[in-house]
Amino acid sequence: MRIRTAGVVAALALSLFAAACGSDPAAPAQTDPKDLKAELTWWDTSDPKNEGPAFQELIAKFNQTYPNVKINYQSVPFGDAQNKFKTAAAAKAGAPDILRAEVAWVPEFASLGYLYALDGSDLTADAGDYIATPLSADKYNGKTYGVPQVTDSLALMYNKKIFADAGISGAPKTWADVKAAAATIKSKTGKDGLFINAGGYFLLPFIYGEGGDLVDPASKKILVNSSADVDGIKIAQDLVNSGAAVKPPANDSYGTMMTLFKEQKVAMIINGPWEVNNIKTAPTFGGLDNLGVAAVPAGSKKAGAPVGGHNYVIWSGVPQEKTAAAIAFVKFMNSATSQAFIADKLGLLPTRKSAYDIASVKSNAIVSAFKPVVDAAVARPWIPEGGQFFGPLDAMATEVLVQGKDPKASLDAVANKYKTEVVPSYSAS
Amino acid sequence: MTAPVLAAPPATTPVSASTAPPAVRRRSRAASVALHATLVLACVVALFPIVWVVLSSFKPGVWVNSSDLSLVKEPTLANYRYVLTQTRFPTWMLNSVVVAAATTVIGVILAATTGYALSRFNFPGRRSLLLVFLVTQMFPVAVLIVPIYVIMARLGLINTLASLVLAYLTIAVPFCAWMLKGFFDTVPTSLDEAAGMDGCGPFTTFWRVILPLARPGIAVTAFFNFLTAWGEVAYASAFIQTSNRFTLAYGMQQFVPRYNPQWEYLTASAVLVTIPAAVVFFFAQRHLVSGLTAGATKG
Amino acid sequence: MRRFFSKHWYAWAMVAPVVVVLAVLILYPLGRGIYLSFTNTTEANQLSEICTKSITGTQSCEPNPDAAHFVGLDNYLHVLGGQVGEFWPWLAITLIWTVACVVFHYGLGLGLAVLLHRPMRLRNVYRVLLILPWAVPSFVSAFAWRFMFNEQFGLFNGVLKGLGLSPVAWFDNQWTALLTAVVTNVWLGVPFMMVSLLGGLQTIPSELYEAATIDGATPWQRFTNVTLPGLRPVSMTVVLLGTIWTFNMFSVIYLVTGGQPAGQTEILVTGAYRAAFEGIRNYALSATYGVLILSILLVFSVFYRRLLRRQGEVW
Repeated sequence: MRIRTAGVVAALALSLFAAACGSDPAAPAQTDPKDLKAELTWWDTSDPKNEGPAFQELIAKFNQTYPNVKINYQSVPFGDAQNKFKTAAAAKAGAPDILRAEVAWVPEFASLGYLYALDGSDLTADAGDYIATPLSADKYNGKTYGVPQVTDSLALMYNKKIFADAGISGAPKTWADVKAAAATIKSKTGKDGLFINAGGYFLLPFIYGEGGDLVDPASKKILVNSSADVDGIKIAQDLVNSGAAVKPPANDSYGTMMTLFKEQKVAMIINGPWEVNNIKTAPTFGGLDNLGVAAVPAGSKKAGAPVGGHNYVIWSGVPQEKTAAAIAFVKFMNSATSQAFIADKLGLLPTRKSAYDIASVKSNAIVSAFKPVVDAAVARPWIPEGGQFFGPLDAMATEVLVQGKDPKASLDAVANKYKTEVVPSYSAS
Repeated sequence: MTAPVLAAPPATTPVSASTAPPAVRRRSRAASVALHATLVLACVVALFPIVWVVLSSFKPGVWVNSSDLSLVKEPTLANYRYVLTQTRFPTWMLNSVVVAAATTVIGVILAATTGYALSRFNFPGRRSLLLVFLVTQMFPVAVLIVPIYVIMARLGLINTLASLVLAYLTIAVPFCAWMLKGFFDTVPTSLDEAAGMDGCGPFTTFWRVILPLARPGIAVTAFFNFLTAWGEVAYASAFIQTSNRFTLAYGMQQFVPRYNPQWEYLTASAVLVTIPAAVVFFFAQRHLVSGLTAGATKG
Repeated sequence: MRRFFSKHWYAWAMVAPVVVVLAVLILYPLGRGIYLSFTNTTEANQLSEICTKSITGTQSCEPNPDAAHFVGLDNYLHVLGGQVGEFWPWLAITLIWTVACVVFHYGLGLGLAVLLHRPMRLRNVYRVLLILPWAVPSFVSAFAWRFMFNEQFGLFNGVLKGLGLSPVAWFDNQWTALLTAVVTNVWLGVPFMMVSLLGGLQTIPSELYEAATIDGATPWQRFTNVTLPGLRPVSMTVVLLGTIWTFNMFSVIYLVTGGQPAGQTEILVTGAYRAAFEGIRNYALSATYGVLILSILLVFSVFYRRLLRRQGEVW
């Protein structure tokens, strides 16, 4: 492990040396990290209580190698960050130097010219070490605009104790299995089986399971109201109507889901690794030993969950003199060792193939449980409008799961919204 | 609540009219009980959310956000401790105090001078200004945020407290000027004339003679400006980028992200935030009634 | 000419600071917004060329293929025609919301003011307690009420369950969701109404009441013939202000219901906000909404003034 760390540091130093000596006009001609002087602002969108402290520890480590690069760490709420960044970048004032951007934001920001293209720099020199799907989210129009920090997907998270009490041995593999398991759980333990969050993103596994998708950028078609999608949503609605899944409330559905799961009142939820630390520290849950992680159940075609994650991006307004420091910072924070550190502390999944060879990552139960889930994740269309699909989809989720409306009608309304407001150049199916 | 002493004001609605309630025959016992019961019920309705917030602030996080509904459970000061030591709450408080104080002082001065000018002088543009004051309250703030951000950026004011003070002035001053104009309308011009004859210029008249009579209206204006600056979130979240400049309202917003809200910290900080507002409020509330009236009477 | 200036310069000097600040921060964006509503400007097409900077130091710029241009009344036609956004449902909800809130604000405010206007013990205590909600920052109150209406963990459903009744899924139905927002807004707004009307009551000379009593008027007749007319100036003003503020009350709807269920409790301002800030920002569209909202309120004010003038109020 120590050899590998030394190897990584050596590789870092070597690459810096190479960059300095290369024909790169941006990097100042220096080799000593101590000479690199800059003040950088980093907007971190991770949870300030559960996840932030770990990243701040990493910054401290960064400063051991680069004592003269001051990092101004700002924890910005995830819900605000996209808007704040766009407002600031458009006005060319107040934007951070580095941002932790969610996958859907990168194509949008890139299309608006707010990010530096990173091709040809240190950061893309080892692009082959990144897992393909997370890296694909950073590519726009043939250029790379970020490097992936963590990747995630949705999985079936379940309560091992409730399963044991109900006599269920393994995680359900299909939605039909889920329905049966929920019935058993209800009769044997009185607890509820599944909680589906009333949000568009969380209904994607049902859509993917039937082989459907939201849009097809290649052929520019809107697919959200195709028969496959309708079938998928019908399965979700059926789970709620039959009582296998708790009827979610229209407001604060996500918070309710997590509270019920942590209080051991519901056996299964569909969620991602970002909640692992939250569950771990919940006094009513019984620790990580009680948490089971399995792939999302399959529909009639396959088991599919959307790929998500966060990336490091650099604002295009950073003055040229500071870019070397920014590159050094991102390179350090995203090295295999750093990613292993984060995986160890927070259970978030690394995006580097080499990180998975590190012993601590290999023995991390949560990472091992989520890895196959992430490997099988379905890529989303990485278009600038990608993030706008979820507004209408959330409304559909509420209408279908909470108000019991007809899935085909709701999905047709979503498709109509997509056509008029999101992707007018696409054709309806 | 001493009313200003006035010489026979025939045309204006007398502020000095008897402030005692109309004389009523001795109330019957039953009516008295009914009256008090209704008011007690109204107070309960007014206060129970506040009480709920206070009680929740003493519960450990796990029980605030749970299906358990007990009033008190494992009372603890942990939430307050977290908010005061683990977040930058003291800094936020300082920023909010600075912004609120600046908004209040500048807002009162601007609203008073403008209201006085509108009341006393028939200058060209007076009617349009009144209309503008009304119209500025009609345009939704949400649509203005981005253009105002761009203007603030050009002025180099992003991430400064000054940008917030300016923005809050645009919210509070139009209404307060409008209201103070109505208030000044009830102060008879004979006083101005008397001061003029004594050799005072218009500014001196305003400052020395009329303004002291307007204390209730000023109190309302101060209260209104303070509350606007103390609790505003939209502009604060747009203009402030670094956590050492956060105001209380924006800092507290972070406790309730869309997913996984941390109600325990929100309620604890809410209690801490309401106390100063309540203090300002107790000082101002004596004047609130008479201040709002006279202003509203003449519109 | 000089006399003209010397007559008015101190008035202008007094109003100058406010005029400058308002002109720069409100009127200029307002004017620009009106202009934008006749174009198709979005975040994506507002620049005439898009430049992509490479971190290695190069930069490539290309002209924006569909740069923003003038589209005349297209935005208005699309919004009013229902092709973009949901103007008419939002307007309907906004009107219902505004009327409900103002009616309860005024009714409860008046009732409490009348009650507090009598001599009694503890009058000041009641008054202070009843205005206390005003001191709490409004977004804190909004969050508190939202949590109290929470279907699983909220106070109200807990009480209902305790009484043996079935809990209500407040936010699942459009009308109960709107009710939660109305309740919250009424709770927030009654103190202001009550205080204003109480002050108005105090300006009604007691001689009028005495005269009415001597003439044999019942309490109800005293109320309708002395109190209400005497309150008219104050009432007109607070109802106008209350209407404008409620119409544009963004925070209560946004924080309490969030437009749920499925966007069925969105009002015009929250809908405009979403158009402005969700996804690729459509500046032209949000400006269009802003202008429409402004127009509606202006028309309302004009009719309101005419109504007042007809009733003999000089306003």
